[in-house]
Amino acid sequence: MAGLLFTPLAWAALSLLLDFRRGRWLSWLGMLIQVLVSLSLWFAVAGGGGFFYALAGWEAPLGIALRVDGLAVSFVLLTAAVATACGVHAGVYLDPGKSWQRYFWPLFWFLWAGLNGVWLGADLFNLYVGLELISLAAVGLVALGGEAAALRAALRYLFAALLGSLAYLLGVALLYGQFGTLSLTGIAGVVGATEPAAALALLLMLAGLALKTALFPLHGWLPPAHGIAKSPVSALLSGLVVKASFYIAARLWLELGDRLGSQLLAQGLGALGAAAVLWGSWRAFRQPYLKQVVAYSSVAQIGYLFLLFPLTYAVAEPVSRLAQQGITLQVISHALAKAAMFLAAGNLILSVRSKRVDALGGVSHFLPFSLFSFGLAGVSLMGMPPTGGFAAKWLLLQASLASGQWWWIAVLLLGGVLAAAYVFRIYRASFLEDSVSDDFYHPPKTLEAIPMILALLALGLGLVAEPVLSVLALPFEVAAGVTAVQP
Amino acid sequence: MSLTALLPILALLSSLLAAVVIFALPESSHRLRTLVNLLAAVLKLGIVAAMTWGVFRGVDFSVSFSMLPGVSFMLRADALAMLFAGLSAVLWLLTTIYAVGYLEDSPNRSRFFGFFSLCVASTMGIALAGNLFTFFLFYEMLTLSTYPLVVHRGTARALQAGRNYIIYTLGGGVVLLLGIAWLHGLAGDLAFRETGHFQSVDPALHGQLTLVFVLLVAGLGVKAGMFPVHGWLPQAMVAPAPVSALLHAVAVVKAGAFGIVRVVYDIFGIDFAYRQGLLEPLAWLAAFTVLYGSLRALWQLDLKRRLAFSTISQVSYIILGVTLFGPLGTVGGLVHLLHQGIMKITLFFCAGNYAETLGVHRVDELDGAGARMPATSIAFTAAALGMIGVPPLAGFVTKWTLGAGALAAQMEWVVLVLLLSSLLNAAYFLPIVYRLWFLPVAAPWPEERRWGRLETNAWLFWPPLVTMLLLVLVGLLAPTAFSPLSWAQLIAVRMYLP
Amino acid sequence: MNSLPPTVLIAASVLLPLLYPLLALRGVWRGALRALLPLLPLPALVLALLSATPWTLELPWLVLGSTWMLDELRRSFLLLTALLWSTAGLYAAGYLGAEQLRRFCVFWGFTLAGNLGLVLAGDMASFYMFFTLMTFAGYGLVVHEGSDRARFAGRVYLVMALVGEMALLAGFLLAFRAADSLLLADVAVATTAGGADGWLIAALFLAGFGVKAGLPLLHFWLPLAHPVAPTPASAVLSGAMIKAGLLGWLLTLPIGELGWAPWGQFMIVLGFVGALGAALPGALQRDPKTVLAWSSISQMGLMAVLVGAALAAPGHAPSLVPLIALFALHHGLAKGCLFLAVGLVLPASRVLRLLLWLLLALPALSLLGLPFTSGALAKGAMKDTLLTLPGLPLGAQLPLLLQAATLATLVLVARYAWLLWRQLQPGAAATARWAGWTLAVLCSSVLFWCLPGVG
Repeated sequence: MAGLLFTPLAWAALSLLLDFRRGRWLSWLGMLIQVLVSLSLWFAVAGGGGFFYALAGWEAPLGIALRVDGLAVSFVLLTAAVATACGVHAGVYLDPGKSWQRYFWPLFWFLWAGLNGVWLGADLFNLYVGLELISLAAVGLVALGGEAAALRAALRYLFAALLGSLAYLLGVALLYGQFGTLSLTGIAGVVGATEPAAALALLLMLAGLALKTALFPLHGWLPPAHGIAKSPVSALLSGLVVKASFYIAARLWLELGDRLGSQLLAQGLGALGAAAVLWGSWRAFRQPYLKQVVAYSSVAQIGYLFLLFPLTYAVAEPVSRLAQQGITLQVISHALAKAAMFLAAGNLILSVRSKRVDALGGVSHFLPFSLFSFGLAGVSLMGMPPTGGFAAKWLLLQASLASGQWWWIAVLLLGGVLAAAYVFRIYRASFLEDSVSDDFYHPPKTLEAIPMILALLALGLGLVAEPVLSVLALPFEVAAGVTAVQP
Repeated sequence: MSLTALLPILALLSSLLAAVVIFALPESSHRLRTLVNLLAAVLKLGIVAAMTWGVFRGVDFSVSFSMLPGVSFMLRADALAMLFAGLSAVLWLLTTIYAVGYLEDSPNRSRFFGFFSLCVASTMGIALAGNLFTFFLFYEMLTLSTYPLVVHRGTARALQAGRNYIIYTLGGGVVLLLGIAWLHGLAGDLAFRETGHFQSVDPALHGQLTLVFVLLVAGLGVKAGMFPVHGWLPQAMVAPAPVSALLHAVAVVKAGAFGIVRVVYDIFGIDFAYRQGLLEPLAWLAAFTVLYGSLRALWQLDLKRRLAFSTISQVSYIILGVTLFGPLGTVGGLVHLLHQGIMKITLFFCAGNYAETLGVHRVDELDGAGARMPATSIAFTAAALGMIGVPPLAGFVTKWTLGAGALAAQMEWVVLVLLLSSLLNAAYFLPIVYRLWFLPVAAPWPEERRWGRLETNAWLFWPPLVTMLLLVLVGLLAPTAFSPLSWAQLIAVRMYLP
Repeated sequence: MNSLPPTVLIAASVLLPLLYPLLALRGVWRGALRALLPLLPLPALVLALLSATPWTLELPWLVLGSTWMLDELRRSFLLLTALLWSTAGLYAAGYLGAEQLRRFCVFWGFTLAGNLGLVLAGDMASFYMFFTLMTFAGYGLVVHEGSDRARFAGRVYLVMALVGEMALLAGFLLAFRAADSLLLADVAVATTAGGADGWLIAALFLAGFGVKAGLPLLHFWLPLAHPVAPTPASAVLSGAMIKAGLLGWLLTLPIGELGWAPWGQFMIVLGFVGALGAALPGALQRDPKTVLAWSSISQMGLMAVLVGAALAAPGHAPSLVPLIALFALHHGLAKGCLFLAVGLVLPASRVLRLLLWLLLALPALSLLGLPFTSGALAKGAMKDTLLTLPGLPLGAQLPLLLQAATLATLVLVARYAWLLWRQLQPGAAATARWAGWTLAVLCSSVLFWCLPGVG
């Protein structure tokens, strides 16, 4: 159990001492262990239900309380999968000759530790710590490479992340002042319906998290950062990092939103999400550079997540559950698909030696495998069956219909069409046969295989959505217990 | 897992696995790829034949598992499913053979055949889908897997056509999804049932159900090439001939038409649709499309374009049949699903042969081709006459049944439409036939290579002849058991049971 | 009392000409193609001559479920068809050059199959199937020469035929609904019981078959198409195929049913218009074959008059129908001879020339109804019957009209003879051509009397 949180930190410390090549071997070993532990935890929860866990027997607020439920372990597992994929990919993709690459592994592991901390964290401050860890590691990863543009993007990212953290911390402080506890369940237990200070706190925290999640119109930092980073880094950032802040926002909302939130706030967040879907997709469609397309696509896909707020506020319990399931699937499938897409895009860029979309002509018969991975991931983003993206869209559609909020239907459907527009733009460019260029580089097989595996996972998610969702929805074995179970 | 559950899955997997294997094979291993292709096609034909026999005997082939909360993935082989599955299994084998010959020495064959197999897997899924959700799943998969085939040539024109194809079909898919989701919200997960689900339904829901019906039909109508959402079809003919054959005869337009059949009969029930007055407007639209497609075809000089407009017209026959309330009309629509496929695939095979062997793409370049390529031209002539509705060919059986169905449904004007359309068909097909046989050759044919005793590559030579034989036999022997007509009657009888 | 259908013979009658075009697949079988031309209708001839009628053959697996049959009416038409096609076939074997022989034979076989099959058909689907086969394949015969005139004629032929076929299809569909049966035998009753639908059905059949039979205003294609075809094809077009329209009328119009008198009157008027009206344009022609085509319109007009009479006087229908069949037989055989004669050449010897003209005169005189010819029998019977029928429209004018019709025939035959006199040139022709023509004349003048149903 502790391994999940602290072993990544240990790996980080160890790899700090090594150069890139040796760090790579160490990290690959670490990843294997992480994956195995995550899997066993997942099966433990799937079999026995979730639980609370107080680290080393210390309970919150002094110690670190972990909340190990189906959702959390699933995200842990997702992180393990995506991060491993990116890590393996990065190990081959990054050029070991550059001296700064040795910092990749420590940052990578810090990021992982932060993510696990967020998924499992049960109190607001721990969540904050995890979030900060993630942000700093992520900024470092973006900056890795040292180009001026990368540094600029990283600084911008850092600024946004800090601003977001500040707002979040302010909210946490307000809540702590009011209720004297940082435990989310603790606060949820005592909070009343009309507490303006608490409502303000929630608003602040949500705003901060929205900035970190790159919700429209606060998304300005994301495309440059995700676009300029190395492909495996972009994959990590788009696939996992933005989800962490959203995860916290969602937890806050689901615990406190029914009392502290308002219809206006819920609809407003939903509207911003909708705007993100439309604007992000449109921008993605217009980008001349391949990775920018993918980055803007993230802005759009993140927009869907914010439909959670209106679809769970003041609606019947089954509808809310539908929406939560839909959003969860969207998080998972987007993580897998977007990681696949960034990695595949990296391969394509390597192959044609240009970042431009219109340089892709002819790549379809030179690098069909990577293009196919890219395409499969795109299918999931479009929300076409049988992918996880479709399953998510279907559930959200059902939730919108059942809650009578039909306007989100338009967003969901239109978003799919726009996604198709920017994905097919890439296909179109790559199918063009009249390009004269015959000068392609063939990336190693590993690089080609990884995005395919991720894309297939995203695809398969739709087919096994029901069993996955049933694990996600597993209740806690002991309602608010403090049983310490050492795995 | 029992055999009854295994067979539908195997029918799907046979081409799905073929796709995977083909993608995995290196571009250069042509023989192995061809072998895999043919083996899969023959295997699938065998499975489908076994299932057809089983369905005839009353065996229930079905398999389902829960995919999402409240939604299951369901494969089920009923008589209607076998009608479509049989068509695609038979024609896939022939198209595969044809495609192997057609794409000889062309690049990107691995990609082509991979998506080709995916496309057929989707079609099989559409045929065997047991509920609307599963249907949609494969319906969209079909859209995606045909795109690379449409743009296969990679020319600017092909890409443009692909773009329009994807805009139309994805747009249709969105409308369809909306309809399906809405219906699911109203009535839950609806499995296809021969008499439909809404014989008795709360009148308060009628309004919403009508809207859902319109959405579903509109979404499906895109693929079925109904006016005014037919625009993608004539453009998509830039694709290689086997793809056109697949698009027009087996997969895409058929998927749309088949979907409409499913929606009208197996979801809403023909009784409900009739009582709500949903059939009449659809009939008018279909009739208009029939005439519109034929009229447009008259002016096309490009052979494949003319065939494409003809498809628009012919597929709406199926829809027209669906809208004729009464078993005869239903039989007419259903049987045309097959007959049109057989006839149109023959025509596209022939058009492809002319293009590949003689380099002829335009109607006015076909003068005297009958003497140079008699077998192909005979096949073309037979299919064209069949389209016109000349007995005893396949098209006549359709036209007769549809006409009789229209009269039985007291919709006499439909007969007029059928007759007019026949005349128009004659007006755009007969001049081609005339050119083939009666006009002298304008310029000497290119003699790039010899094919031995045959007039063209053997892989291209036989498929149109086989389909020609089929189109004669299904008409000539229409009343025998297992003919498309008898099978359609079997289905229709079950649909109108009280 | 139904007899057992001679299945093998029936199959051979239809399948032989239907499969014969397969011989065209290989160039080396060209000789067989030519040799088989006159033999194709022989099974049908044997069938017509020898089989005991009536019989019915059920073929439930064919097309929409077929019924083939032979009764006295059909036997008469089958005889005509088989006889004329075999003599014309013999003639064709000597007439055709090597060029495009295969194409001609393909269409010949299909057209013949259609023509024979439609006579045997007892249900709508089979009838329509064979009728259409004949129409479409006939196009190939019409445009065979490939001249501009032939192409134009072919186009007019095809357009009008197609429109006619559509009328027929509509008629059959409506009749199917009214009768709820595919049998042609049920059409008449259903039409009568069908009310407004019945009128529509009758009108559609009248017009649909009228195109083939050259009814006035529906005849435009006929003087164009019949002459441009190769001579043997013209003979069968004008002699046999045109009769398919007549047979169609006899099988589908409500003959013998009460209440169709106005229709009968209408047809009688229309028939006389054709019979008399064809004389003027016909007499102005310069091509003997075109004159003959107009003559066909004229003669078909007379047959339409008879059909009209049968409609108008349902009580007498049983006696009128055999008369119509007889008339058709006479006209078909005679017209065939006249057409075939156009392709002859004058022999060198004077005696032979004399013989030629003598033989040539026989069918012409027969058409005029001179004694001891088939025409005398047919036309005499027609006159006797028509003039004795009570209550026919134009009753008072009938004798006059019939005389006028004879005059019209005379004008046309005279014009034909004159043109032929001017046109025939000395030369040599293949024996088969002579044999075919001689056989045709023999059929028309001598064998006619031995045929079943005559006398």
